[in-house]
Formats: sequence, structure tokens, C-alpha cells
Amino acid sequence: MNQSDNSGQRGFFSSLFSGLFGTREMRILILGLDGAGKTTILYRLQVGEVVTTIPTIGFNVETVTYKNLKFQVWDLGGQTSIRPYWRCYYSNTDAVIYVVDSSDRDRMGISKSELVAMLEEEELKKAILVVFANKQDMDQAMTPTEVANALGLPALKDRKWQIFKTSATKGTGLDEAMEWLVDALKSRQ
Amino acid sequence: MFAKLKKKIAEEAATAAPRSGVRIPRTISKESITSMGADSGDDFASDGSSSRDDVSAQLLRRNDQIRKLEAKLSDYAEQLRIMQKTKDKLEIALERHQDSSIKKLQEQNESHQSSRAKMAEGMALALEKKDQEWIEKMADVEKEKAALSARLEEMMEQSLALFQKRDDLDELEGFQQQELAKVKHMLLRKEELLSQREQELQQKEVEVQSAKRGLSEARGKLQALQQQHDESCRLSSELEIEREELLLLREEADKKISELEGRCQELQAVIQQVSEDFQTSQNMVSSLEKSLHDLQAENESLRLQQQKAAVTEEEKERLLVELQKKVSSLERRLQGNLSQDEHLQELLQEKSDLESSLEETRAELLLVRTDHAETVSALEAQASKMSGSITELQTLLRHKDDSSKAYRDRTDAQIAILEQQVVESTERMKCAEQQLSEKQQHMDNLQGKWNAEKAFLEQQVCLLEQQREERASRLEERVSSLQTDKQSLLDRVAELDKRMVEANSLLKQQTEELENCKAELNSRLTVSTEIAKSLEETRRQKEELQTQVEELTVGLQNSQQELSTAAKKLRLRDEDVQTLQNELQSRQDSLAQLQEETERLQTQLQQMELDKDSQLLSQTQQLDSCQARISYLEVEVETLTEQLRSPEVCEEDQNGSVSVDDLDHIHRLNRELEQQLSDKNRTNKQLQQRLAELKRTLQKELKLKPEPEAEGKEKCSESRAEKQERVNPEPPPAAAPSPPTSNTTVTNTSDLNDSREINFEYLKHVVLKFMSSREAEAYQLIRAVSVLLNFTREEEDMLKQTLEYKMSWFGSKPSPKGIIRPSISGSSTPWS
Repeated sequence: MNQSDNSGQRGFFSSLFSGLFGTREMRILILGLDGAGKTTILYRLQVGEVVTTIPTIGFNVETVTYKNLKFQVWDLGGQTSIRPYWRCYYSNTDAVIYVVDSSDRDRMGISKSELVAMLEEEELKKAILVVFANKQDMDQAMTPTEVANALGLPALKDRKWQIFKTSATKGTGLDEAMEWLVDALKSRQ
Repeated sequence: MFAKLKKKIAEEAATAAPRSGVRIPRTISKESITSMGADSGDDFASDGSSSRDDVSAQLLRRNDQIRKLEAKLSDYAEQLRIMQKTKDKLEIALERHQDSSIKKLQEQNESHQSSRAKMAEGMALALEKKDQEWIEKMADVEKEKAALSARLEEMMEQSLALFQKRDDLDELEGFQQQELAKVKHMLLRKEELLSQREQELQQKEVEVQSAKRGLSEARGKLQALQQQHDESCRLSSELEIEREELLLLREEADKKISELEGRCQELQAVIQQVSEDFQTSQNMVSSLEKSLHDLQAENESLRLQQQKAAVTEEEKERLLVELQKKVSSLERRLQGNLSQDEHLQELLQEKSDLESSLEETRAELLLVRTDHAETVSALEAQASKMSGSITELQTLLRHKDDSSKAYRDRTDAQIAILEQQVVESTERMKCAEQQLSEKQQHMDNLQGKWNAEKAFLEQQVCLLEQQREERASRLEERVSSLQTDKQSLLDRVAELDKRMVEANSLLKQQTEELENCKAELNSRLTVSTEIAKSLEETRRQKEELQTQVEELTVGLQNSQQELSTAAKKLRLRDEDVQTLQNELQSRQDSLAQLQEETERLQTQLQQMELDKDSQLLSQTQQLDSCQARISYLEVEVETLTEQLRSPEVCEEDQNGSVSVDDLDHIHRLNRELEQQLSDKNRTNKQLQQRLAELKRTLQKELKLKPEPEAEGKEKCSESRAEKQERVNPEPPPAAAPSPPTSNTTVTNTSDLNDSREINFEYLKHVVLKFMSSREAEAYQLIRAVSVLLNFTREEEDMLKQTLEYKMSWFGSKPSPKGIIRPSISGSSTPWS
């Protein structure tokens, strides 16, 4: 009894102080299969540079400021064995950036099933979906429309989504995508 | 001929270039992993000496190493597969190359002899140069390393200072927040007190007002009473006036009475006179009555005379009547006897005679009578005269009597009236006096009452005034005190505000500082990452150099071999090729064996993970060595293939004179170089070890060190729990890797073997992040940690509560229920 009261009080105070000291950070997850370029995108967004990366066993979390909006961006490792742990991070998520390797036609089906499984989660019902059709600099890359169709995005209901063609190494398309995401998050509030 | 060859070589170069380009990242990753593996092995070895000092730390490190090794093992497996693929490719390339090389060798053999001498010379020169270069490079690298280590130390110091600063800052912030909260609390309380005081004041004011109202009411009452008093005063004055009037009236009445008495005396005198008069008149009357009596007697005598005359008259009248009868009888006789005339004459004569006689008597009588009448009349006149005087007197008397009587009556009535009036007036006076007295009394009473009331009221008023004054003074005092209080409170509030502002500014400053520090930290981190990057680059460079050296040595060997084989002609080459093929085959076999071995080792490792760390370590070492061998072999193969090409290229140019002396010379040189190379390799390895150690310590410093300071006690208990779990690894790894529910969607069965290690790696990473990240991020990680460590719901909730407690300024620390305390539970506590 007492403890719940306390927690309530504390929750009240924390909300009060979060209201006092600036707005809440937006929580964004970057998901996608291994090798899609999630970590590169994260650091491209944070420091604007291409960094050399090794396969992420675990996750990276960085605070990215974009247009006066603070984002707490979580880049979760996409290897098959640790994909099930994604769902541990779903709570309080405002947006999901789903990164797809546009040149990896073979694993497009796996990517789709992972995306579908993710979108079915109750905790992500209100999250905005942004799909990055990454590695557009590759010759054999699929177009965003192809990627969208391959992922079955047009069939999505009750979901605000958008697809962007990006190249994390070249740094193209990221600004447009982030702009759209900022607008979407602002309009949602 | 040569043109053809050149073309071919060019083609090969063209085809080989992209392939190597693709492969580069893999090799890099592999090398990084191998180096890490080597680190861990060496690390263990070096730690062996200090193991007695810190068993728990070692255990932890070993666990880390195991996890790293596991990860590496998985990577190795993957790389093994890749290598197999590359090996297949290499085989094909080799076959192709063999064909071409046979042809080339036949052609080259002729030119080779001539060019060999030149080549040997050039090679020696090149080797010397290279050696020089290498020494220089090594010196450079060493210098660079020293600089880097210095920088690293500096960085470490900086980072330490930074962490300390950050901790201080956090602490300061905490204190500040606490103080701020306290101040706020105090402020609130003071404000509450103020409001209470104000309320009290208001109450007092209301009381004062009510008192004032009472006062005004009393005043009203007083006024009414004064009015009453005035009225009564007026009434009394009126009464006095009336009394005076009455007194005046009394005096008047007295005067009147005296007057009336005077008049009464007068009247009595008059009456006496009148009575005297009356007595005289009575006397007169009596005399008169006497005379009257005389007169009456006279009258009677007269009357007797008269009566005698009357009697004689009556006798004469009777005689006349008889004579008249005789006359009447005689006339009747005369008239009745025949000669009535004669008789009538005789009777008439007789009658005449008789009438004459009667007349005579009548005359006589008349005469008497007249005489009589005369006397009577005289007498009567006299009597009448007398009676007239009597009557006169009588009337007078009567008049006088009447008048006296009337007067008397009148006076009597007047007196009676007056007396009555007097009585009445006296009565009235009495009445009035009574009334007056009554009124006086009443008035007195009223006056007394009024006075009493007035006194009472005045007293009351006085009292009330006093009370009021007292109260007013008290209230004023209170008000003043309250005002002073208020002032002080306001001052305090102002002060607090000021302090708050100060604190805020301080906070701002500190936040700025913090941000600066953070920025600095970020920059430092970026610098450190850059340094790490550069370190990696240098390492890579070094590795490249090493490989180059290796390549060079191998190239030397190969060239020597080639030279010998060239000298022993083409057949030997064929044999060589054959042996190479065999070797390849054997390598493949050994690779397969190694794969099997690795699998076996993995399984063994899993078993050994439960049993012993050392065994695992040795296995991993073995594995590492295998891997190293594999990589070495790969590199060898690669270089072989490259060398197969490269010597030909240079041989083409130096297709001149090659002597056996030169060959020997080259041989010697080669040996020397080999020895040097091995030495350098050793030093390189040592350097690498040191570098890895440095790197590891840096990582430890960066990741682990801030934990116990930043997270405080709470973390200790957690880490304790974790440690315990890690020390008794039977339950967690066995049960841990059962990732939630969506397992079924996409899980590769082939990865299940690796999933454990990856899970462990993942757990390590998550826990590390959980401990090092901000609280807001850590809060998000509770779930992941709970899932990974199979926490119960209570444990998870407890974690959440602790974090919430840490994030907020208020509230009490939740009791750590659900934690298995190592001191309570029966399990061993090896960390202590």
C-alpha cells in the first residue's frame, strides 16, 4: 500500500520535474537484420561520420539531437540469435527505424517476417515506422518501391509509416527521413 | 611470348583485385578477433601469478574471457567456413596457375639462369633496404607506441579525473536537489504558518469587529438610556413646574379661603345686623300685632254693634215682614169680604199708614246703618291701614327674611362650595403631592436606576474599552509580531528565493559545467575512439607489416625453393606442385579435422565451462593456435600464390645471369633474415600483448571503474548477486538462453550452438551497459536484464523501484526484498 503510494508520488514528482527540466526524450529503436547498417546509421546520425563497425552483439544507445528534439536512439544488434531480445526494448518506444539492406534480395523474406512479428507487438502499436531502404549505393540495390512491396508495407493498417532510400556510407536520404520522422512525432504529440 | 604473358598476368591481376578487395573486411575482422584471442590467452597467463591475490577478479576476467572466446569460436567457425570457400577458390586458382606456370617455367628456365644473378643481387640489396626500412619502421612504431601509451595514460588520468568530476557533480547535484527540496519544503511550511497566522489575524479582526459592534450596541443602549434619562429629567422638571403651579394654586386657594372667611365674617356681621333688624321689626311686628289686636277687638265690638244693629234691623225687618203680612192679609180680606174696596181702602190706608211707619223706620235704620257703615268703614279703613302696614311690614320682613335667607343660603352654598373647593383642592393638592412624591420617588428611583445603569454601562463601557484596548493592543502586538514574522518570513522567502536563484544559477552553472564536461567527455571519448581507431590502424599496419614480413620471408623461402627447383628443372616443379597439392589436400584434411576438433572443442568447452576454466582456456588456446595456424596457412597459401606470380614478374626483368654462388649467398641471407624476422616477430608479439593489455586495462577503466563509484551501494548488492550467479554458473547458463516467446518466428537451428555464447556475450554487454548508462536508459534495460538473467517479477519490480528511487529526489529507499543475500542463503560466497 504505502509503497504504491510512494511510487505514485514519486511518479508524480518525476513527471513534474521532467516537465520542469525540459521535454522528454523521444525513444527510437533502430532494428533490422544483421549487416543492414544500423550501427553505421546510428553514428552517422549522431556524429555525422562513417565509422568502422563490427557486428553488434548487444546494442548501442546514443542521444541524438535533431531540430531541437532529443532522441534516445537504441541500435539493437540484429543477429539471428539475439533478435528475440528486441522485444525487451519495445516499451515506451515512440518510433521504429527499420533498416533493410536493399541489395540483400535473398533475406528480404526474413526481414519481412521479422518486421511483421515486430509490428504485431502490443507495446509498439503506437510507434511510428520508418523504413530505411539502405545501401542504395550498391549496384544491385532494390528500389524503395520494391523494398516496400517485398516487406508488405502497403498492406499495413493503423500504422503511420514511410520508406526512404538511404545510403549510410554516402550519407544520402538520412536527412529527409529524419525530417519526416520529426514532423510525424511533432504532429503526433 | 612475353606480351602474352603480360596480358595473362594483367588479367589475373584484374580478376584477383576485386576478390581481395571483397575479402579485406573479413580478414581484418578475423585478425582483430585473433589478436583478441591472443590477448585473452596471454592475459590469463600473466594473471596466473596474481591469481592468489584476487581470485574473484580473475574468475570474473576468466568468465569474460570465456565469453569472448565463445564469441570468437563462433566467429572462427564462420571464418572456417569462409576459409573453406576461399580454399576451394584457391585450389581452382592454383590449378589454373599451375598450368600457366608450367608453361611459363619452361620459357623462363632459359632466361632464368641469366637473370638469377642479377635478381639475387637485387634481392639482397632489396632485402637489406627492406631490413633497414623495417628497423626504422619498428623504431617508429615503438616510438609511436610509447607516445600512444603516454597519451593513453594521460587519457586514463583525464578520464579518471572526469569521472571523479562527474561523480562530484552528481553528488553536488544530489545535495543541491536535496537542499532545494528542503528549502521548498521549508518554504511551504512557512507559507502554511503564514496563512495560519493570517487566518488567526482575521479571526482576531473578526473578534475585534464583534467587540466593536458590542461597543456600538452598548453605546446605543447608553444613548437610549441617556435619552430616557433626559426624558425623565424633563418629566421631573415638568413635575416640578406642576408642583410649583400647584403650590401657587394652594396659596391662591389659601388666599381665597382667607378672603372667603373675611367675607363670611362680614356676612355674619350683616346677618347679625339683619337679625337685629329682624328683632326690631319683630318688635315692631309685635307692637303692630298688639295694635292689630286692639283694632281687632274694636272691630269685634263694632261687629257686635253691627250685629245688634243687624238684629234690630232684623226685628224691624220681621215687623215689616209681619205688617206686610197684615197688609197682605188685610188686602186679601178687603179683596176677599164684599166691599173689598172699603176694606182695601181701610187696609190700603192702614197699609199706607204701616208703609209710612216702615219708611220712617227704614230711614231711621238707614241712618243708623250709614252711621254704622261709617264707623265700620273708618274702622275698616283703620284696620286696613293697619293691616296694610302689617302686610307691608310683613312683606318687608318677609323680604328681609328672604333676602337674609337667600344670602345665607348663598353664602352657605358659597362657603360649602368653597369648602368643597378647598377640600377638593386640598385633596387634589394631596393627590398632586402624592403624585409628586410618587413621581419624585419614581424619578429618584429612575435616577438611581439610571445612575446605576449608567455606572454599570459606563463600567461596562470602560471594561469593554479596556478590553478592547487590551485586545487591540494585543492584536496590534500580534499584528506587529505577525508582521515582523511575515517580514521575516518574506525576508526568509526572499532569501530562499535568492538562495533558490543562486542554487538554480549554481545548478545551471553546474549543468553547464556538466554539459561542458559531457562535451569534453564526448570529445575525449571521440578522441579516445580515434585513438583506439588509430591504435587499431597502427595495429593493423603492424599486422600488415608483419604479414608483409612474413610474406617476404615466405617469398624468400619460396624464391630459394624456386631457385633450387628451377635448378632441378621442371620435373621438380611438377613434383613440387604435386606436393603442394598434396599439402593442400592435407591442409584441407587438417582443416576438416580442425573443424571437427573445433566442434569437439566447443562441446568440450561447454562441458568444461561447467567444470574448469583452465581447461577451457587451454582449449581455446589450442583453438587459437589452430586458428593461427589456419590463418597462417591461409596467408601462406595466399602468399604462395602471389609469390608464384611475383617472382615470375621480377624474374622477367632479371632474366639474366644467375650463379650458384649467388644462390648460396641468397640462401644465407635468407636465413639471417628469417632469424631476424623471427626475432622481430617475437618482439612484435610481445608488443602486441602489451598493447592488448593496455587496451584491456583502458576498457576496464572506461567501463568498469565508474560503476562502483557512480552507482553506489545499490549496485554493489546487484553486482554481488550477479557475481554469485556467475560464480555458480550451473543454473543461469543452463536456463538463461531461452529467449522469450517469438523464438519460433526466425531462429536458425545451426546457430543454436553459437547462441549460447552469443547470449552470454549479449548478457555481458547488456549488464555492462545497464551499469554504465544513465538511469533513464538503465530503466529501459531492466526488462532486458531481467529476461537475460531470469529474474522473477518481484526482482524486476524491485530493480525498477530502486531505479525510480534513484531518479527521483524524494521517497524512501525500497527495501530490497527478493534478493538472495549471500550471507543468508546457504550458497558459497567465494567473492569475499
